[in-house]
Formats: sequence, C-alpha cells, structure tokens
Amino acid sequence: MFKLNFRIALRNLWKNKGFTLINVGGLAIGLASCMLLLLYVAYEWGYDKQYSNYKTTYMVYNNQAANGKIFSFAATPGLMAETAKDEIPGIKEAVRFDYPSDRLLTYKRNSFKKSSSFSDPAIFKIFDFKVLKGNQSTFLKNPNAVVLTETLAKALFGNEDPINKVVKFDNQEELIVEGVIEDLPKNSSIRFDFLMPWSLYGKINPWSLQAGWNSNFCMTLIQLQDNSFFEQANSKLHGIIKANNKDSNGEPFLHPLAKYHLYNTFEGGKSVGGRIEQLQILFLLAFCILLIACVNFMNLSTARSEKRGKEVGVRKAIGSSRADLIGQFMMESILLSLLSMLLAFALIEVCLPYFNNLLGVELAINYTQWQFWTMLVGLAVLTGLLAGSYPAFYLSSFDPIKVLKGFSVAGGSSLSVRKFLVVFQFVFATCLIICTAVIYQQLNYIKNKSVGYSTKNLIEIPIQGVLNQPEKYALLKDKLLKSGVVADVTNFSAAITQGGNNGYGIEWPGKDIKSNVLVNFRSTGYDFIKTTGMKLSAGRDFSMQHADSANVMINQALAKIMGMKHPVGSVIKWGGTPVTIIGVIEDYVEESPYKYSSPMIVTHTDGSNAVALVRVAATANLSTAVDVIDQIVKEINPDYPVDRHFVDDSFADKLKNERLLGTLSNWFGGFAVFISCLGLLGLALYMAEQRKKEISIRKVLGASSANILVLLNKDFVKLVLIANLIAFPLGYIIINKWLSSYDFRVGISIIPFAIAFLLSLFIAVLTVSVQSAKVAKANPIDALKYE
Amino acid sequence: MIKLENIEKYYANKGLKNYILRHVTTTINAGEFVSIMGPSGAGKSTLLNIIGMLEEPTYGLYEFMGENITQLNERKRIELYRNHIGFVFQAYHLIDEMTVAENIEAPLLYKKVGSAERKSRVADMLDRFNIVGKKDLFPNQLSGGQQQLVGIARAVVAQPAIILADEPTGNLQSAQALQIMELFQTLNKTENMTIIQVTHSEANAAYGSRILNLQDGLIIK
Ligand SMILES: Nc1ncnc2c1ncn2[C@@H]1O[C@H](COP(=O)(O)OP(=O)(O)OP(=O)(O)O)[C@@H](O)[C@H]1O
Ligand SMILES: [Mg+2]
Repeated sequence: MFKLNFRIALRNLWKNKGFTLINVGGLAIGLASCMLLLLYVAYEWGYDKQYSNYKTTYMVYNNQAANGKIFSFAATPGLMAETAKDEIPGIKEAVRFDYPSDRLLTYKRNSFKKSSSFSDPAIFKIFDFKVLKGNQSTFLKNPNAVVLTETLAKALFGNEDPINKVVKFDNQEELIVEGVIEDLPKNSSIRFDFLMPWSLYGKINPWSLQAGWNSNFCMTLIQLQDNSFFEQANSKLHGIIKANNKDSNGEPFLHPLAKYHLYNTFEGGKSVGGRIEQLQILFLLAFCILLIACVNFMNLSTARSEKRGKEVGVRKAIGSSRADLIGQFMMESILLSLLSMLLAFALIEVCLPYFNNLLGVELAINYTQWQFWTMLVGLAVLTGLLAGSYPAFYLSSFDPIKVLKGFSVAGGSSLSVRKFLVVFQFVFATCLIICTAVIYQQLNYIKNKSVGYSTKNLIEIPIQGVLNQPEKYALLKDKLLKSGVVADVTNFSAAITQGGNNGYGIEWPGKDIKSNVLVNFRSTGYDFIKTTGMKLSAGRDFSMQHADSANVMINQALAKIMGMKHPVGSVIKWGGTPVTIIGVIEDYVEESPYKYSSPMIVTHTDGSNAVALVRVAATANLSTAVDVIDQIVKEINPDYPVDRHFVDDSFADKLKNERLLGTLSNWFGGFAVFISCLGLLGLALYMAEQRKKEISIRKVLGASSANILVLLNKDFVKLVLIANLIAFPLGYIIINKWLSSYDFRVGISIIPFAIAFLLSLFIAVLTVSVQSAKVAKANPIDALKYE
Repeated sequence: MIKLENIEKYYANKGLKNYILRHVTTTINAGEFVSIMGPSGAGKSTLLNIIGMLEEPTYGLYEFMGENITQLNERKRIELYRNHIGFVFQAYHLIDEMTVAENIEAPLLYKKVGSAERKSRVADMLDRFNIVGKKDLFPNQLSGGQQQLVGIARAVVAQPAIILADEPTGNLQSAQALQIMELFQTLNKTENMTIIQVTHSEANAAYGSRILNLQDGLIIK
C-alpha cells in the first residue's frame, strides 16, 4: 500500500504544481528561517562550552556598592588569584587574566597589531586549548615568552617553524615563541591572538606590583576541584577583599564561565539575565515561524478537501480503514516536509554567508555530525506530523456514503478552524510588524539623539610608541595643526566612546560620609571642549592662560549628585587633595547611548594620554585630510600602525546589537508575513472555488466584477481586523517590556500600530484580490454549465 | 448468508422521525442473484448500503455470515468487509489519481495480499475484462462503460463472497448495460458469487433469481 500511495502522492504533487509550490515554498521558508535561527541560538548557547572543564570554571565578579546601587563587574585585585588558591579549599586553579587589547608584535618585517593578553601558566590547565607546537607544561613560566595562535603564527612566520624564534613586543620587549595553539573559537569569551606571561605584565606595568586590594585591574578565573565546593568557596571568596583591606567595599563572587556571555546583566549584585533574553526571543521566534508555516500547510491541505473527499469515500468503500487513511495523509505531509527540507537547505546555504556577515558570527552547517542529521530528520518528521495531523484526521473522518452521494463534505466546522488558523497567523505577523517598527523607531531615536558633542569628522588616534614622549606628542599636535586639514587637537585618558578608570574618593561639603559615589576619572589636554564640540553649562575649559593643575571640570551628573546649583568655584576633595571646579560639562554619551551619563571628573594633564582626538577642519576634503593625518602620524611614530578611526564609527558599533535585532526581526518578520500571505492565498483559493456557482449566479443577475471583489474581500478583511485587535495589546506588552530596559527610549506611539494595521490589511486585500479577480472576471456560464 | 430482521432507518428532522426503511425483514442465501427495485426515494440505496456496512441501521438485527453486525466493533467489521464484500457504484467512483491497474490492485493492498499474488490476480482481471490495453490509462481516459468494467473488476478481484451493485448500469447505454449484466450472471453462475443489485430496469432485474420490491421503506413482495 505504502508504495502505491507514495507513487500517487508524487503524482499528485506533480499534477497540482501550483499548490505544491505554495505549500513546499511556504514550508521551506519556514523551515529555513527556523533552522537559521536555531543555528544562531546554538552558536550563542555554545559560548565557552567548548572547554572540557567549563562546568567547574568560574569568572570572579566584584560587587561594589556605590551611588545607592550595587555595581557588578569582572574586575579584581591582582592579588586575588594567588590568595584565593592558597586560602580557599576546593579551588584547583586560579589565574589572572588581563583584559585583551590590541598590541604590536613584530618579526623581521612582519608587524601586526593583534589582540593580546597576559596570564598565569595555569590558564592552560583551566582551558584545554589545543596545542599545535611546543611543550604546554612550560608555557608562560619564562617572563620573556609568548604563545601564539595558529593564524598569527602563520602571518608572522609563514612556513617557518616559529618555536624559539624571537619576536618583538610593542617595539621594546624581545619575546621567545614558546608555543602555537589552535585559533580560539569565535564563540569563546576568552579570546586573544597571543598570550604572554603575567610576570611580563608586572615588568611593563611596575605599578601593578605594588597594587593592593583596592585596585581592581584584572580578571580572575577560578577552577574548582568539583562543584560540590561551590557554596563554600563562593562564601569564603565573598569576604576575601575586606579581610585584606578594611577600607574596601568589594565583595567578589563566582559567576559560572558558561553564563559569562549570556547572563551578563546584574542587578543588586545578582545575575538577572542579559543576552539570554534576546536568545529566548529568537528561539521562540524560530518555532513561531515554523508553526505558522505548518498552519499554512494545514490550511492549504484542508482547503483541498473537496477534491480529496471523493478519494477518501472510495478508499473506504474498497476496504480502507481510517488508520490506513491517516497513515496515507501523514505520509504525504512528511514527504512534503522532506521536500521542503531539501529546499530549505538550498536556501540556508545561499543565505548563510550573508547572515554570518550581518551578525558577525561563524555559523556553518556541520554535515558530518550525526546530531545534525538526527535533528534534521527529527525536525522534518515533526513538521510533517504537526502540519499533517489536522488534514489527516479531518480528511479521514469523512463518511463514505455522504461523499459518494455527492454531498458537500466541507462542513462549516472545518472552515471556521481554517479561519481561526488564518487569524492566528495574522496575529503573529502583525505583532512582528509592530515590534519591528518600534525597534527601528528606537534605533532612529538613539541615532538622532544628541550625543553631547560632534562625532562627525572627529578622529581618534591611540597614543602609542614614541608618541608617549611629551615632546613627540607636542610635535604631532603642532604638525597636525599646521597641515591645514586639522582644526583642533586634544587628548583624552580613555577612548571617548568607552569606559575608563573610575573610583571613589571624591568628597564635597555636605557629602553623606557613608555613601560611596563611583565617579569616572578622566584627564585631558588643552582645547578639549573646542575639539570635541561639547558644551559647558558653566565655567571654562582648561587653558594656557591659567594654571590649571589643581583645577577640574565635572559633568552635570556629578553636579547633580553633589547637589550644587553653582559648582563653578567650589572646592572639593579628590583623594584628600582639594581641587577647584572651573567648569561644568553638559552630560554626553559616555559608553552606552541608552543609559544616563555617569558622574565624571576631568583633570588637566600636560603629559601623555591614551588617545589623541583630532578635529578635521570643516573646509578640508575628508579623504585627503585622512591621508595627510596618517602620513604625519606615521612619520613621527613609524613603528606603529596609525590605527586611526572615526568616532562616529565607534558609535555605530554601539548600536550594533539593536541594529542586529532590528535586522533579524525585519527579515524574519518579513518571512512570517509572506508565509501568512500564502496561507491567505490558500484560503482565498478555496473560498473562490466554493463560491464559484454563487458568484456566477450573481454575475448573471448583474453584479459587476468590482461588486464581486468587494464581496470576496469582505470576509478576509474581517479576519485581518480581528487579528489586529488581538495583536495590538499583545504587541504593546511585548515591545513595552523590551523598551523598559533602556534609560533613553521612544514613547510608544500610534504609528507602529497604524503601520501594522495598514500593512496587514493591504497585504491581505492584495493577496485575496489577485485570486478573486480571476473568479470575478471569469465567464459565469463556464461555472454554471457543469452543474 | 444475509439475515435482516426488522431493520429500521430514519433521519430525525426537527424532532420528526423521517422513516426511510421500516420493518425490513429478509434473508438472502449464498449464491443468490437478487435485484432490489422500487420507485425513486424508496430507500433502495440505503438498504444496499446497510447490507454493505457503509451505513448503520437505526434499529434491527443484521447478521452477515452468522455474525451480528450491529454489535461488531469497527476493526472486525472492516475485516469482514474487506474479505467478503465488493461494491460497484452507479458513478463508478474510481480513484482519479490511479491507473486502471492500480485501481484494481488497491483492494488487494488493503487486504494485505502478497505482491506476486497481487500481480497475477490483477493480470487475470485485466485479461478477463478485456482491458489489458488500458491498464496504464487513468479513469478520465476511459469511456463510462470501460470505467464500470474497471469498477467491477475492482470489486471482483478481492474474490468477495458478495457483490453489491447500486444501479451499475444507470449511466450506461443499453449495449454496455447488457455486457455488464451478462458479466454478473457469469460471476453468479460460474463462481457462485452472491450478487445484490439495485436497478430500475425490468430487463436487468430479469437476470437475477429474485426481486425485492421496496416501496416507502417497506418490502412489498
Ligand atoms: N442523510 C440524509 N438525511 C435525510 N434524508 C436522507 C438522507 N439520505 C437519504 N435520505 C432520504 O432517504 C430517502 C431514500 O433515499 P435512497 O437514496 O435510499 O433512495 P433510492 O431508493 O436509492 O432512490 P433512487 O432510486 O432515486 O436512487 C430519500 O427520500 C432521501 O431523501
Ligand atoms: Mg439510489
């Protein structure tokens, strides 16, 4: 029976090509969307889980109470790792790990600025990095050593054997290559291109050797013997900072490595989720899209019930049981879903490069994995069963006598089920349209919101190598200003779009002694306000006309916390030293464009700083200006790449996550809408078929094609209206929840709802009309003749 | 073989019982060729469907080969049905998507007959009904008479004990009708197949050994 049914199923699919196309196409798009999203979810979910000990590995987080809140960050004193390992039972390994940053590595003529970090030898025990060359047991023990990743080794040495070769680090230290490890996976939080011993860190940063328990400057990674020690170790760790330094208020705790990436938001010192929420949304989206594709399938299949009804009747009359028929219809739908799966693969393979590029990830289908194939077949069969169940049970329930007598079998009940399914699809599609619109509104709002300074044509250049010498920096500034393409130059102690040092120790008259206020510390040269285009709400910038060594500027956020109406001229204490406020900077976006500005204090420095900020002259041609600037920098500091970038590019990076969400919901929302339209088309096909006779009679009685179109559209418009009514509150709740995590957010206006309403209505009417127009225009006699 | 006792069938319409069959009592023995006759709407098709287990009587006793059908569960009934009953319809009711050969093969598949046996039986049928040349055609490529031949071949191929035919020649010209009736007669005579047919034609009824006359749901004779 199976073979014959299979043959007939194929024959049927071929005979009804249009139907097959709509059905397979819809299902394939649904499956492809679902699998693409699942691949991405699996990628994110797999973060840091490549290492065999990930379950017992922890990142040390530090809770600090300040400004009435608890801040949690992965920054610890350098002393912690060793002390914790010595004093806390159950800790197998503990290592320091420097925040990776790009540094220069040179071999002969090859020079690369790549991500680098410092750590202790035991890091190779915590992470089972795959060692390609060298003896792992000796790694990082010698202070002049470096371990490279494969790609960097290739780039530096080509085909030479890198082991024991000498490379130059930051143009000053000579390091011996001890080993080569495989490149770290892209979804690993611990990432670097080359790794150096912690002892070298101490040599380069002598201050760190003296740094005590109140200086949080590195990450600490801890591996437990096993997780039964967790409670004990965690509670012991809690007091370790205060036990060593009574003045400190740091309370460290263990955060599982596996959660480091996904659970990255903390409130009140506790992990409260983070990226995982976005992941959950995407996971849900994946299944909802698959579901509406299945719904589509059900709709189209039952719509053909009229045609299949007779077959059911006859089969029953020649001895088929209901179970046989259910089996037959299930087989057909699984066949279709397997076909769709094939098509879905073609779609995925075509889309993956684009998708990877868009998301900055490395997703790939691993065809050699058995998990993949089980998942694939499982998904296809599940989809087939899900999509085929309703048609199978519905069609197989037909009473043979009624069918054979020619009674219409499509009762009202099946129609209302189908209407319900269409409403369901449209609720989902409309919700997605609303959410997408709001996400874009929010993106636009943040993009257009004033940053507080002018990011356009503002260039940031890291001060490195010889530029750290004040006279070379002065030379650079002088040359730039004289080049004619630069209007102003200043320097700053942190990248202007990123975080930097912060701390306590600011005191002012009337401060509550018990309260800790965490303040960002920055320093700058002259012309800071002029170069950046920030605004002063009071006072003045640092200037050569004044002796500003004991003067500071503050931002409005700090002024507000201090409760000062007129801060200019006030004297406050910073680490016990009195300083005078000379200016108040209007709050600008420091790190996150979504968050309120943090309090900040800015001092003046003559010496070197982290970055130079260069304002390109308004009259200059940008591309020539960039060339000129590059040339000047290269001339003065030939050993380093210029590494210049535009501040507005850094800003665009900050919107990446939201833009990604916007793009995802746009694309997948589009797919969902498209699939829903196919469903509607199916229903319209069916309705038109059903009402052919009625329409013909109406036409004979004098109805125009337009009258008929209105008649046919009316029902669908009603369905879409109902779907909108349900989708509005639903969409509002979802998007409101999403927005609530932003300090700066758009108000929810009527516009997204109007867009969703008009769009869904327009699409529905268009879809239905395309189909109905044919019926409306058809010659009525054709339909009536066959009665 | 078939025993009907006080079979009643009605449809309730707005609380009113609309009787189609009333107190139908009769016995049909193996090897009989019975024709059911009567005016339109008398309930002939309904009676035939009840005998064929496609419909259930509202009331009464129905015994088929000694089994009480009204008390049988679904599975047993389908089993009985598959093995012993073949249906022939006025409108042929072939499956449009299947070729002639496949249409004839289908009941054997449901009966789970082995593949070799199936092939030989189908070949046998094609041969016997002179439609070997048409075996790969689809129903819509056949004339009405040819379709009905396939319909009968499909009913006969499973070697049922009884064939139920509802106006098998209703849509056919008299020459073709004649051919079908002679076929029935041969099946009845040579293979001792029990045949029950519904017909409006006295000529057709004459092929049978007995006539059941139905009027307003009652057997007259
Ligand atoms: N599902 C139903 N609901 C209500 N009445 C029905 C139903 N099915 C059949 N009937 C009625 O039962 C009666 C008998 O129908 P049946 O088909 O058995 O007649 P028939 O004798 O075969 O007539 P014909 O010679 O025209 O085929 C008819 O009056 C018909 O209207
Ligand atoms: Mg009849």
